[in-house]
This record gives sequence, C-alpha cells and structure tokens, in this order.
Amino acid sequence: MQTRSDNPKGKNLLARGLSMVGHNKRYVIWFFLMNLTLGFFGTAAFSNQAHAVLNTSLYSGRLLHGFHLAALIELFMRPEFGPMQAATMSGFFFIFVFFLATALFLPGVFQGFESTYRLPREDFFRACGRNLWRFVRLLIISGIVFGIVVGLLFWAQGALIKKAGESTNELLPFEIQMTTLAIIFLIMCTLRIWFDLAEADTVLSDQKAVRKSIGAAWRHTFKGFGRLLGSYLVTTIVAAAILVAGLWSWMKLVAPESIIGAFIVSQFTLLLLLIPRFWQRGVAVAYWQQAMVAPVVAVEPAVATATPATETTLAAVTPGVSPVIPSREMPST
Amino acid sequence: MKRGWFILIFPLVSVIAISLMVQRRSTDAADAKTALPRATTAVVKDKNARELSIPDTTLAINSPTPMSQRVVHYEIDAHYDATKHTIDATEVLTYHNLTGQALGHFPFHLYQNAFQPKATWVREAKLIGNRDTTYDKWDAKEYGSEEIKSFEVVGQGDLTNAVHYIAPDDGNKDDKTVVDVQLPKPIAPNAYVQFKIVFHDQMPETQARSGWKRDFVLGGQWFPKVGVWWHGAWNCHQYHATTEFFADFGVYDVKLTVPENEVVGASGVRVSSANNPDGTATYTYHGDDIHDFAWTASPRFKVKDATYQGQMGPVDMHIMMQPAHWSQVDRHEKILRETLEHFEKWYGPYPYKTITLVDPEPGSAAGGMEYPTFITGDTTWWMPKGLFEPEVVVEHEFGHQYWYGMVATNEFEDAWMDEGINSYTELKILDSILGQDTSIMHEAGVMMGEPELQRIEYIAAPTYDPISEFAYKYYDFNSYGGITYGKTASVLFTVEHMIGEDTMQRAMHIYFMKYRFTHPTKGDFLNTIEEVSGRSDLKQYFDQAIDGTQVLDYEVSRVDSFPVNWYEDQKTTKKDDPNTVYQDTVWLHRKGDFMLPVVVEISFTDGSKVRENWDGKDRWTKFTYEKKAKVESAEIDPDHLIFIDRDNFDRSRRAEPDLKAGLKVSNYWMFVTQWASQALVWWGV
Repeated sequence: MQTRSDNPKGKNLLARGLSMVGHNKRYVIWFFLMNLTLGFFGTAAFSNQAHAVLNTSLYSGRLLHGFHLAALIELFMRPEFGPMQAATMSGFFFIFVFFLATALFLPGVFQGFESTYRLPREDFFRACGRNLWRFVRLLIISGIVFGIVVGLLFWAQGALIKKAGESTNELLPFEIQMTTLAIIFLIMCTLRIWFDLAEADTVLSDQKAVRKSIGAAWRHTFKGFGRLLGSYLVTTIVAAAILVAGLWSWMKLVAPESIIGAFIVSQFTLLLLLIPRFWQRGVAVAYWQQAMVAPVVAVEPAVATATPATETTLAAVTPGVSPVIPSREMPST
Repeated sequence: MKRGWFILIFPLVSVIAISLMVQRRSTDAADAKTALPRATTAVVKDKNARELSIPDTTLAINSPTPMSQRVVHYEIDAHYDATKHTIDATEVLTYHNLTGQALGHFPFHLYQNAFQPKATWVREAKLIGNRDTTYDKWDAKEYGSEEIKSFEVVGQGDLTNAVHYIAPDDGNKDDKTVVDVQLPKPIAPNAYVQFKIVFHDQMPETQARSGWKRDFVLGGQWFPKVGVWWHGAWNCHQYHATTEFFADFGVYDVKLTVPENEVVGASGVRVSSANNPDGTATYTYHGDDIHDFAWTASPRFKVKDATYQGQMGPVDMHIMMQPAHWSQVDRHEKILRETLEHFEKWYGPYPYKTITLVDPEPGSAAGGMEYPTFITGDTTWWMPKGLFEPEVVVEHEFGHQYWYGMVATNEFEDAWMDEGINSYTELKILDSILGQDTSIMHEAGVMMGEPELQRIEYIAAPTYDPISEFAYKYYDFNSYGGITYGKTASVLFTVEHMIGEDTMQRAMHIYFMKYRFTHPTKGDFLNTIEEVSGRSDLKQYFDQAIDGTQVLDYEVSRVDSFPVNWYEDQKTTKKDDPNTVYQDTVWLHRKGDFMLPVVVEISFTDGSKVRENWDGKDRWTKFTYEKKAKVESAEIDPDHLIFIDRDNFDRSRRAEPDLKAGLKVSNYWMFVTQWASQALVWWGV
C-alpha cells in the first residue's frame, strides 16, 4: 500500500493541489450537485411566484427579450417578492444549509485528497462522521476569530475612509477603500490558510484535540507563508477570472430569449467556481504532507517481518511522509 | 411777463410741494389713507433722502423692460468667514405694498434655523425621513442658525425687540424659522417700506442643499426673506423637511466678500469684483425678476464659460466643476445646452442672461438643487457614460428655472406644481435627447427610461396622499417623493396621451407664457389644459388623479374559450378542428377605485384582433364572441398610453401560459442564491 505522501511529486503546492482536485473530480461534481439541488429548493417558492405573475402576462415579454430594469424592479416591488418574504427567505436558508453540508462533508474531501487511491465511499463518510464534532468546534473557533478580526478591520477601514472623506481629494476615500480592502483580503486569506491547515491536520492526523491542530496550523501558516499565500492568491484570481468570464459569456454569447443557454452557462460557471476553493484545500493538504506530518519517534524494528505497526513506523521516519493510520481500512487492491 | 413767471414758477413749486408730501407719506404711512403711485425707479445713493422704489433695471435679463411685478428689492452686503462657516451681513429690503390693503405686520423666513435639534425640520426629518439625513445621532456640525442682530424699519425706528418667533404650521415653540414683526405704523396700499436688518448665519455642514462641506460652501436660503402676501393673507410657512420655498419677484443686489482664493458663482450677473487689502475679495451680483439668491464658493472650482444663443438674447453658461470631474465638463455643457434648446422650443423663451451650473462638493448634500439662474448638478468621478444621472439632474434642475423660477408656484402648498410638472417635462425632454426606454440608463445591456422611473416612484407609495396635499402634510418622505414627482409626471404623461402630444405641448406653452412671473395655482394649470384641449371631461380625471388617492388598477382577470358544441360526443369532435366554433370570453376587472375609460385588445388564434372600449364604471365587465378561433390574449391599454396603472403585469393575459420569462427570472435568482452560498463557504469553512 502506498499513499500520496510516499510520493510527494515535487514541492509545487499549486500543482500538487490541482492534481488532487483532478484525481477527485467527483467531489467537485457532488458539491456542485448539492449546490444546484439546494439552490433549486431554495428558489422554488420564488420561482412559483415569478411564474404566477409572468406566465400569463404579455408585459413579461420585456423581461424575456432583454434586461428591462423597470419591469424587473416592478416585479420585485410586488409584496410577494419583498426581501423578508417567504419566496426570498427560503433562498437565504438554503444558503446556510449548503454551508452546513459543506462543513459536514469536508473531512471526507480532505481524506480523499490525501489518499492516492480512490477513497471508498464508506471511508469518505467515516471520515465525515469521525470529524463531525471536531469540525463543529473548528467552525466555532474560526467564526469567533474571523468575526473579531474582520470586524476590527472593517471598523478601522470605516474610520480611515471617514477620515479620508475630510480630504479635498475626491479620489482619496476610494483609494483608501481599495487599498484597505486589499489588505483585509490578504489578512482574511491568511486566516483562511490557518484554518484550512487546521482542518487538514485535524482530519489527516486524526487529531481529537483541535486546539493542537489550530496551534500547529498557526505556526505553519507563517512558516510557509509565502508559498501558501501565493498559492491562495493565484487560486482566488482564477476564481475571479472564472466569474468574470462566465458573466461575460452570459451577457454576450447567450441570446436574451435562450433559457437553456442561460441555464447552462450560469451553472457551468458555478461548477467551475467550485474548483478554486477545492484547489485551495488541495494546497493545504499538499502542504500538510510536506511539512506538518507529526514526527513519530523511530523505533528500531526488532524483527524484519512487516506488520501494520512497522508500516506506521517506516512511514513516520521518512521526512515529508505522513503516517498511515492503523485503523484505516484499505481497499483490497 | 408776470403771467410768464407764474407759468414757470407754479409748476415748479407744485412739484416741490408734491415731492415733499410724497416723501412724508412714504415714511409716515400710518396716517396715509392712500399713496401716490411710484414715480421714479432710479436707485438714489442717499437712501435716507430718496423716495423709495424698486429698481426697474434690466441688467440681468434679455428684455428692455422688467418682466415681473417687482415687489422686493434686496440689497445685501455679506462677509463669509470660510474658517468658521459664518456669514455676517446687512440687508436692506425695500418692499412695495401691492396687496391693496394696509400691512401692519411682516413675517420673515429664517431658514437656517431649521437645522437645530428641536426645530420642526429636524424633528420631521427624524420622524418621516429625508433625502439627506435621518439624524440617527446629532452631530454638532449639522447645526445651523440665522440670528437677527438688529431690525430697523426706516422711519419707524429700531424694532429689534419687536421681532418674535412664530410657528404658524405646527405651533412648535422651539422652531425659529419664521419671525413676525408688528409695525407701529401700518404700510399703506401701494406704499413702500424699507427694512434694515443686520444678521449672522452659522451655516451647517450641508443639509437640504445649503451649507458647507470641506472648503466648499453653498449659500442657499441664507438671508431673512419676507413672506408672500397671497390670497388675502401672509403666506410664510415654517421650514419643513419636505418643503421648499415661496417668495415674491424683485431685484437683488448682493455683495459677497470671501477669501480671495475662492472661486465664486451666484444667481444673476456679476457686475464687479475687487480684491481687498485684508486678503478677501468682494464680488457684486445683480439679479432682475428673480425671487431668491444663492451663491457658492470653493477654491477648487474649475470653470468653463460658454454661450447659448437664446430666443431673447445670449445666455452665458457658467459651468463650475470639481477638479476630479473636469473630464465631464463637456457632458454637462451638452445637456445644459440641449435642455435650454428644448425648453425654449417647447415651452417659451429663457429671458435671463446667465445660467450657472455648479458641480457641488462630493459627498455633500448640495447636489440637485435649483435657485434662480443657479443650479447644482450631481455626479461622481466614476460615472459611466451609459448612466445618465448627471443628465437627469442637470435637466431637472434647469427645468426649475421655468417651473419655480419663472412660474413661481407655492412650493409649500403646491409642491407638485414645480416638482411634478418639472418631472413631466423632464421625462419629455430626456426621452427626446437620450431616447425612449434609455433615458435613465443604457449600460451593459441594462436599460431604463424616464417614464418608467417616474411610474415606479409613484407605485412605491400610491395610496397615502393626493397630489394636491400640502408638501408638509404628506404621510412620509417616500409618499412625498412618489406622489409629488412620480405620480404627477405619470398623471400628466397620461393626460398627454389622452389629448395628444401637440395639444399638451401647446397647453404647457400657453400656461408658461400666461403665468410666468406670477404665482399660479392648481386651477390655473388644470384650467389651461382643459381650455386648450377643449376636453371638459378631463375634470373627472383630474378630480381623481390630483385631488384623490384612488389607485388605477385594471386587470384582465380571465380569458376562456370552449367549443359551443362541447356537449357533443368528444370522440366525434376532432381536436383543433378549424370549423369548431368557440365561445370566447374575456373578463376585465377594475381592482382599484380610479375609474377611467380603457381600451382592450383581444387577439384570437386565427390572427384577428378586436378592440373594445370599456368605461370602467362597473367593477367588472366581459366581452363574449363566437368565432372559429380561440382567444389567444387580451390586453388593456394596448398602445400603452396609461402610465398610472399600479400593476403592468396583470393588464394583459395569455390564454396559454408562456413559461420563458418566469424561467429566466428564476434562473437569475437561482444563480444569485447558489453563488452567495459558494461565497459564504469560501470564507466560512
């Protein structure tokens, strides 16, 4: 048996992360289908209301044959489309459900990324179940950290912009806003790297005490800061490019009346948009494999016969190689 | 010879005697039962010795004679302290009593006192909302005040102690926006009275298009202004969060002393400028036939001057831009020029020699405001070419030169007659310049036209207030905006479709020419439309649309087609047999209380169409046909002439639903939902 950690394929985090995504495309598809399904349910009430108004009206042609803003505003001004009404609130709830579902299934993704073979479904879900409460704790801690840090950053940004607003240079507040947004983005990226490494470590080290994973991830975030941040920035830029290209294609290449074309382009864009985030998690796993494997004290084998325990030891003494968890079930092949 | 001397001396003595009598009567009017008509109109330097009068100057207008009945002459000498944002000024107001009766007291507006925590303006803004601020917390910079230091009536002495605050609208004892002064001696009909007022302003950080922002200042509503004697009483309302202004026409001579680095613009024409030894500069402006005076100053304005050749003479266009917006100066000039052209062509000549367009300080509450011959625009450094906000604002504010500036309606009581009529001409002119359906925006495939915008404003809050409500009695700010601007524009646009575009344009032209430089009322305007169009039946429409809160809401509630021989065996009847005769029925429903005759167009599957008229008096009606075709669709108002229907979607109905539009909109919403969920996951887990 061999894991990917036995063959790190060089040091390039981006390449290794993307390779992991490539080997586990089904995860992207599953998450996309989950996103699509939840999105469909979340917008079902809205869709019913929209059809009830638009299906029999000739005026709806203004929405079909172009983007007539006044007609769209009039549609949304109707009481049934108010932002807190049932038709739209269900969408917000399903956004939250997708968030929870992602948190639930993410440990399986980490496990699958780390594995060099196709992780069996039961192992995927075992990893999910095994790490459920660990991820809940991680989410709570990351939520608190993000909340405090981001809250402070935006408060400081607001104060700076307000101060810049006293300047006679009209562009200064905008420039301050853009600059501070870039800084906030970098800091948020750093926090995201920290907790992605913590998540990876929790799953791959089978770490029950998530505080230890968080501590280790904190140290490694700064130890490999340049490589990690660079990788995360590249993937974010890719995501932005996908979004822009998708919207551009939707506007320019799809005829206003083409419902199927709009659906395909919009959903394909959303599918592609999932890849960069999985790529980031692949980067986290690749980094974990390279630098965060917990050192295990080497024990000289008393006898040369191979046992599961020996496998663990051999793997552990090899630099950059992760230990194989003895309890993990391996495929028969 | 003796007779010759007598002939020479008698008229001379008579003139001197009459002059002395007139002089005495004008300064001691209490005993006067009548006064002589005003004689000279020249401004005499020695005011104490002169006979009072209102100048008949025409320096600021392209007309050889005055165009208005001039009631007031303001002579103001103001010094602006740019550090403290204060104004210290002396005001000499000459008032001509043309009311036909003796006036024993005079009310004055002190608008800057509105910006105080207990003032009616602030309380209302906090209660019902406001365009600029909702006063979540009080900021000391928002404080404004207008304090009368001394008040003298020439010939009657110092009456400073007689000046007292009144609150005629709401009785708020803490509101100081109106003062009243009882004169010891009433002013006789046709007599003149002169007030000498020393006042001090503390300007607020811009609110309600007045005040300072950074090193910019907009001097609007900044001096004590006398009320208007109107319909047999003084009309001098308190300043409210939803009201604007009302004043008499006259002449303004204003000296503004500001730091010499300031670039200054103002109402009227500049007649002189001089630098002072103390590092200040004094600019003198003169305005004819105007009823207010505003000015602005900033050290950073960049100015473009251009000339428009108007029907009555050349008009100097002063365009004062923020440096960061300089690239848009041609855009501003273009829309100003085209707007002038349209107004002159459609409604009447612009008689003033100047128009000053100010691009105010970014982030200030000074954008989008009108004063006589002086308007403020509104733009940003990043304004896309396809988003026509600067054009909309410039056109709208210039339009107020007609509907407010010259046709000077009472903005406290008839706000719709300036804002609403102006919104109607705005949509006409912008549609003409920028294109129908694209006169608000045409960017990245997204488009929107002015008429739709006005209607959407209206249907956002259609039921609370009638158009003719006093501006300060509206339910809230949204209702004020939606009804005053949006509903009026939509109502008039609908009238235009009822009587024809040419007739409506002629009516507007006649209304302008007849009532310019006066204070017309609702009746004057509506009667003009009825008379010009010859449509006395419009009264019923105006009663509902202007004085009522009824909502117009028609729907095609049902369409139905079934075979007349439906009872026969289905198996023997071929589906879609072209010889099948159907009973086709279309039901119309008047959901709202607004009654208006409408046309409905019914389309059948064989391509034929039928138009029917319905007077709309009953709650519903139906039209039934027997044809070898089914009803395909029915549409009320197929030519889209009615712009006040609350719901455009239910005014038509298809027999067979078409899912495409619903699917398209649903797909938008699903994409947004999915993308938002992915974004949350990106940062959250």
